[in-house]
Amino acid sequence: MSDISLLGVLEEQILVAVLRTREDAYGMQIRRELERVTGRELAIGAVYATLDRLEAKGYLSSGRSFGDGPSRRRFAVSAKGARALTETRTVRERLWQGVDVRRLALLARA
Amino acid sequence: MSASRFPSLPHALLRTLLPRAERDELIAELHAEYVERVIMHGRRDARFWAWRQALHSTLPLLRWTWWRGWSGFEPRANAYRPGGHVLKNLFTDARYATRRLRARPAYTLLAVLTLALGIGGTAAVFGIARPLILDPLPYANADRVAFFWRPGWWNEEEYTYLRDKFSGFEHVAFYRPADVTMRDGDAPTRLLVGIAGSSDLFDVLGARPMLGRTFRAGEDAPGAEPVVVVSYGLWRELGGTPAVIGSRITLDGAPRTVIGVMPRGFWFPDPSVRIWQPQPINPQGRNGSYALVGLMKPGEDIDDMGPHVDRLVQTIKERFTYGENGDKTKDAWVKPLRAELLGKMKPAVVATFAAMGLILLIACVNVAALMLGQVEGRSTELSVRTALGATLGRITQQLVVEAIAVGVLAGIVGGALAIVGFRLLAQSLPIGVWADAAQFDWSMFAAALGLAILAALLVASVPLLSLWRQGDLRGALSGSRTGGIQGRGGRLERGLVIAEVALAMLIASGAALLVRSVRNLYAIDPGVRTSGVAVVDFLSSRNFNGDTRIVRLHQALDELRALPGVRSAAAAMRLPLLGGGNSWSAVIEGRPKEEAVFTYFRIVTPEYFSTMGMRVLQGRDFDQSDIAAAADTTHHEMTVLVNQELVKKLFPHQNPIGQRILSGFEWPQRIIGVVNNVAEGALTDKTEASIYYLDRVAWFGSAGSFVIRTNRPSDAPAVLDNARRTIQRVAPEFAIQSVTTMDRVLDKAVGPARQIMSLLTLLSGLALLLGAIGIYGVISHFAARRKRDWAIRVALGLPGSRVITHIVRQGVALALFGVVVGAVVAVALTRLLSTFLYGVSSVDPLAFAAASAALIVIGMAAAFVPARKAGTVDPARVLREQ
Repeated sequence: MSDISLLGVLEEQILVAVLRTREDAYGMQIRRELERVTGRELAIGAVYATLDRLEAKGYLSSGRSFGDGPSRRRFAVSAKGARALTETRTVRERLWQGVDVRRLALLARA
Repeated sequence: MSASRFPSLPHALLRTLLPRAERDELIAELHAEYVERVIMHGRRDARFWAWRQALHSTLPLLRWTWWRGWSGFEPRANAYRPGGHVLKNLFTDARYATRRLRARPAYTLLAVLTLALGIGGTAAVFGIARPLILDPLPYANADRVAFFWRPGWWNEEEYTYLRDKFSGFEHVAFYRPADVTMRDGDAPTRLLVGIAGSSDLFDVLGARPMLGRTFRAGEDAPGAEPVVVVSYGLWRELGGTPAVIGSRITLDGAPRTVIGVMPRGFWFPDPSVRIWQPQPINPQGRNGSYALVGLMKPGEDIDDMGPHVDRLVQTIKERFTYGENGDKTKDAWVKPLRAELLGKMKPAVVATFAAMGLILLIACVNVAALMLGQVEGRSTELSVRTALGATLGRITQQLVVEAIAVGVLAGIVGGALAIVGFRLLAQSLPIGVWADAAQFDWSMFAAALGLAILAALLVASVPLLSLWRQGDLRGALSGSRTGGIQGRGGRLERGLVIAEVALAMLIASGAALLVRSVRNLYAIDPGVRTSGVAVVDFLSSRNFNGDTRIVRLHQALDELRALPGVRSAAAAMRLPLLGGGNSWSAVIEGRPKEEAVFTYFRIVTPEYFSTMGMRVLQGRDFDQSDIAAAADTTHHEMTVLVNQELVKKLFPHQNPIGQRILSGFEWPQRIIGVVNNVAEGALTDKTEASIYYLDRVAWFGSAGSFVIRTNRPSDAPAVLDNARRTIQRVAPEFAIQSVTTMDRVLDKAVGPARQIMSLLTLLSGLALLLGAIGIYGVISHFAARRKRDWAIRVALGLPGSRVITHIVRQGVALALFGVVVGAVVAVALTRLLSTFLYGVSSVDPLAFAAASAALIVIGMAAAFVPARKAGTVDPARVLREQ
């Protein structure tokens, strides 16, 4: 497990977006998916830079489809990436366990 | 349709930043989304979105490009996509170049050091030359100020008469050297190099003070309140506070008020001057040692001053008459300020600069040849890469990056060398006090780096030329095993070595000329034995004259003689080899004035001749009887010694002893002895008549020198410290101007040629070394390339010695060719050195022959090493390898 580190927020979001978009996981689509779910605008440059970094770390793999339509670089989460996502999620949930969510909601409203 | 077009600026920005492999697909997607947004939210909103995308992408994409270039990461999806990113390629090339350079440490070290030597040297010389040649002079009116004729030529009477008659000039100021002694509390008296001038001197120059003011009109009038302006350096020594203005300092035994401080970096007429004072003018004064500087009227041009000069000469002619010497109506011209102040140094600096530039060029050629060898050695690799799709442009870029990597390394090493070598060079260059003014600054380091990049590009152009000439590298692949690029004649390489030898020939012939010239100068007999003589120059306070001075002088001499290691000590008003001065005419008593001859007069103490190693050839030296006679005021005759030249001129066929002559003194002078001829003027002047007077009869001016002969010649420098302390203790009124040895005086008399010689000899040694490396490299490459041919021939019965002869002949032919080309260019260029040559023509055949012989021998030696290797190799092994 030593070669897996915890993911950053954008890294985590992008890996999840890749999982969500499945075979449609190319750069612009991933960006759109994230914008749609988070409601925040994202620059394509930031998405691409992160995708590349994740691939260099071995969390993602990319390939090209040579069929109908334009040739696009498509991404898929690797086994290592899946482990990293699971690990990050576990840690996050462990952290949240001690938090009283109702009190937090009240605090937010105050 | 134009409404749905992606805005052009964000488009261009993204196109630049995105990697080529994915650029088109990403931009197509962005455009598609833009069109969607125009339809859904309107054009304005879509445009904002496009701008946000481009701007927010900039930083992550720049970071991404950097990181991709650095890490070399290439996504698998792009493996078969064409192109890549320029910046990324540069990074890849840089990494590749670093790896290649690391893998060949010998080549890298040789290339970097060779270039660094050239770059460092040139940068250091640039650092010295810049303030002398390129920087503006520290005077606002520098372009409008001119010198009249020769400085140090004019007298007060002439200036007073001409003052308001200089047409074409607004103001004309005068000045003369006026060193002063300064006594500060209990500290020993010291000498300050100074200038005394008219009150408008600073106005003519357009120089403003940093503190206080410069001279006011009338301050140069006799009886005016004595004031001085000091240099920045002296002001710092006096405390460096504004309170220095208005304070009084004791100069030449009298108090003077400091009225102004010149800014840092100001100098006039050279950086050794630390104090300026107004010179009261005596309208009848005929002492000539003044320089005249004039401020031209606005609109006047220095090149068109001819009519004004003619008018001035006419005015001078009407009022003054001159003898043969010092005729101011001849050779009249006005000289620009820069030419007068810096002119003398220029040839030395330019010659050194040129030599350094040549070394840099040789270094470049050497590295180019090395690199060419490397490229040819890589022909198979380059062919394979071309076959796999690398374009010529891509290979070119890689070679340039490699050359720049070598250049940057060489720039750093060279910059470091420049810093270390700077002081050394400044001291060894014949630029006198300027050496202290030349300051190291970082522009030199920047110059080194700039030069390095230029040199690297120059270097890279050679192998590139070779590559481009071949065009299609793929063809080479098939032949690379048996020949390919390697099979070519290596014409470019040979051309490079010829150029290199030619450049080395330029430097070596220049050095050989200077060596011959300096040997000629040292071969002149100065007439004194310079080794083992210590010299202490002094200046006594002007109010310290007459008998007191004589008493104090002899007290000091007695103490000096008692010092350990001292054989004898004497004093003289002026020493030989300093370029003349103090002359008048002498005639035999009773003969008409027309028969008078030019003589130098020298005032000396007893023991002077033995101390200086001069020989009394006839008669006797001064003794007690002469001292007694000088003290006797009723005795109306002086005793003198004369030199052989005076005897030759005045008493060609007579015994001069006992004869009486008349010269500048009132009383006739009886000759009691004859000494050998001494170079009382400059070393290369023709021999002149000289008369030696005893110091008891007169002493003019306030300057003089103690000379001390030591028991062992090597002790002369060591005794100086002791002598200085003794004089300061016994006679504090004598300010010590400088301490030196007669050997150093002789060295200075030999002049700048000696320093340039040492520098050029050093440089030519470097050039020969680089030349040898170049020839060695090319010949070993040549030998390696034809290894197979040699092996076959040896196998067929050709003796190994024939192979060696053949290869050495190749080396010698290259050297010979280079020598011939170099000699032709050298004939044109050695004229630059002509001002430093004595007794040698600038095309001296002996010097050229020596330089040629050195280069040919070196060529032979450098070729012999690879030749021997080729001649003694086992053919069976070579053929097996092939």
